[in-house]
Amino acid sequence: MPKTEMKDAPREASEGSRRGFGRRKVCRFCTEKNLTVDFKDAATLKSYVTERGKIIPRRINGNCAKHQREVATAIKRARMVALLPYTVLHG
Amino acid sequence: MAHKSSAAHLLREYETLFLVKPDVTDEAVEKIKERIRATVAKDGGKVIKFTHWGKKKTAFPVLKQPRALFLHVDYLGSAKAVAEVERNLSILEDVTKFMTTKIAEGVDPAAREVEEDVKLAGDEERPRVEREGEVEGDAAATRAEDDNNQGQQA
Repeated sequence: MPKTEMKDAPREASEGSRRGFGRRKVCRFCTEKNLTVDFKDAATLKSYVTERGKIIPRRINGNCAKHQREVATAIKRARMVALLPYTVLHG
Repeated sequence: MAHKSSAAHLLREYETLFLVKPDVTDEAVEKIKERIRATVAKDGGKVIKFTHWGKKKTAFPVLKQPRALFLHVDYLGSAKAVAEVERNLSILEDVTKFMTTKIAEGVDPAAREVEEDVKLAGDEERPRVEREGEVEGDAAATRAEDDNNQGQQA
């Protein structure tokens, strides 16, 4: 029993410290009505991958779950037709 | 029965994006287009629009080539048409990559009109000399000077 108490205590503290940190991100595809997810639009999708070409998680880019799923699929499709890189090799 | 017959007229809308080797001529591209048109028409569908994106840089080399011609085709048809189009593309040696995605289901072919083919410019091909830390304006100015010098020499 004392084990669980110890486990709970630090978690509460960490949550408290995180509150009020940074601003709340909003999904770009939800706010801009005429913006749609399209695998052909490599310029838009580029902002959702890192410099190495990895898909950015939604806790960082602020997408909603629905649009993050669409973005992830679109990025994978864009990679298949060489519009986006699978990886960026540094020689 | 009535429901079945009306459903038979409705088709799916697909788009295929395919990459062609960069040194392929316009006539060869036209031939590929015609082949796709014929394949789709054979299955009872129709091609709505061809978009030639032009020569673009690819994100990674495709068959050791840093550039490729991008072609996009929007068409109505059944799953059979897609299989046939993809089979034809895989036979053609000039086509390096292709991908088909479904856009919509239950589209009435009479409602969709055939659109004109579009040809876009693609990326500019820049000679490597310009990139040597020069501002674009300066580079253009030096190029103009070079041209003048050449003109005078001639």
